[in-house]
Amino acid sequence: METLKIYATLALLSVRARMEYKASFLLFLVAIFFFYLAQLGLLIVVLARFKEIHGWRTGEIAFLFGLATFSQGFTTLFFNALVNFDQMLIQGEFDRTLVRPLSPLGQVVFSRFEASTVAHFFLGTAALYYGAKYSGIEWSLKKDLFLPFVIVGGVMIQSATRLAVSAVAFWTLRNSSLVHIVVFSSREFILYPVSIYNHGVQFFLTFLFPIAFVNFYPAQYFLDKTGENLFHPALQMATPLVGAILFALSLYVWKRGIGHYQSSGS
Amino acid sequence: MNLAVFGKFAAVSFQKEITYRFDYFMAVLNGFLYIFVFTALWRALYAQGAGAGGFSAAGITAYAIMAMAIRISFSMDDTTIAIKVRDGSIATDLIRPVSFFMMNMAQCAGFSAFHTLARGVPILIFSIFLFKVDIPFTARGTALGLLSLVMGYLILFMLNYLFGLIAFWIIEVFPFQLMKYGLLNLLGGSVIPVDLFPASMKPFLALLPFQHIFYTPAAILIGHATPERALVMLTEQAAWVGIMGAASLLFWNAAKSRLVIQGG
Repeated sequence: METLKIYATLALLSVRARMEYKASFLLFLVAIFFFYLAQLGLLIVVLARFKEIHGWRTGEIAFLFGLATFSQGFTTLFFNALVNFDQMLIQGEFDRTLVRPLSPLGQVVFSRFEASTVAHFFLGTAALYYGAKYSGIEWSLKKDLFLPFVIVGGVMIQSATRLAVSAVAFWTLRNSSLVHIVVFSSREFILYPVSIYNHGVQFFLTFLFPIAFVNFYPAQYFLDKTGENLFHPALQMATPLVGAILFALSLYVWKRGIGHYQSSGS
Repeated sequence: MNLAVFGKFAAVSFQKEITYRFDYFMAVLNGFLYIFVFTALWRALYAQGAGAGGFSAAGITAYAIMAMAIRISFSMDDTTIAIKVRDGSIATDLIRPVSFFMMNMAQCAGFSAFHTLARGVPILIFSIFLFKVDIPFTARGTALGLLSLVMGYLILFMLNYLFGLIAFWIIEVFPFQLMKYGLLNLLGGSVIPVDLFPASMKPFLALLPFQHIFYTPAAILIGHATPERALVMLTEQAAWVGIMGAASLLFWNAAKSRLVIQGG
């Protein structure tokens, strides 16, 4: 309980520090919003011309975009500090967290809460709402209950990949190019239905780097997309399980990393 | 600035890029990742509606690979000006007996030369074989295409330069850079060729320089633009080089008089 209170204080402080420069914060918010809107613009141009992507119509693509963006919002909220984690190591900032009687990961996470992620939530919610409405999802109790699990699972998958690549820095110190490719470039894959890729890439996105579970497989379930099962229909329900396993694995990698870590000395 | 000095600046930034081998392999992987995504996307889309925008299924694949190779070759470090303004090291640049604009261009050219030779060209050649792309290279098309590449590069460089100069007014330039990336992705042609935009948007696109960065050189190099069309596009590109050049000069003069070096 005491620990939770400390984390809450840390999180609040980091949000307040961010809000201190209001104009700068607002500008940043507008910029993020603009950036994702431009990304959405690409999809809109493609859909205006071709009407659908591999059998996925506009509403369904919006639903995909919504799931990815919404869960990315939560991931960024908690784990944004990890994007520049190698800098924390190189500058010795991380060492401070090791001498305090709190989990180092907890301190890293809660001392860099990223408030600007409201942009993700706004766009993600809008896309989910629009997508659900225009693709005519038939909601049922089972689907209602499953949605939060899918979001949490998606957040855990994305967080796990961030945590694992950040932990690489414990061994190599520099990892910014790896972070870039895993965190930002990989998003490009799941903006489109995974069924457009060849089998090798589908296998990769399902079993080796399973970000297809963030949006593609659960979207198949919600949208009742039958007839394009990639490996097994059960995968459509697997997001929470995959998330839990990956997150546990990445925590293990992180712990091993801290065990291996020797300060850079600066 | 004479050519020897230009070459020296370029060589130093070329050298710097060689140093980080791990980053290099990751960047190559990143390039292929994008090519895989977009060739798959176009394959799916053209299976349902071939001929859109005047491309065949094979033609759009060639375009996607060429445009991505150009984008990779045009890699630049667009953070240097902002960092120099922030930490005050820009003062040293100002007392150098060389033009700030030319010095930046030389550094960018060295940086991009490395990414062209080490990433852009190998990825292009490898992808042509991997995806069995047939690009009808002609002497005339290639010559015009190379000219267009140089102008596209100049436009992108000056765009980055102008956005970098914002740092003289607002220290926090990252939000502006982010908006620039958004526009460049959407309108530059590295993902979607301008032909596929709705007709109603094209007059609006012509008011902006973005399509002349990746689209124009790629369309000319793969022979998508007819020879007559290519000449028109090159003329428009040249006009944009002039406009951006004038803007760079104006903004630099305004920025210089704004500069306050923070002590420290």
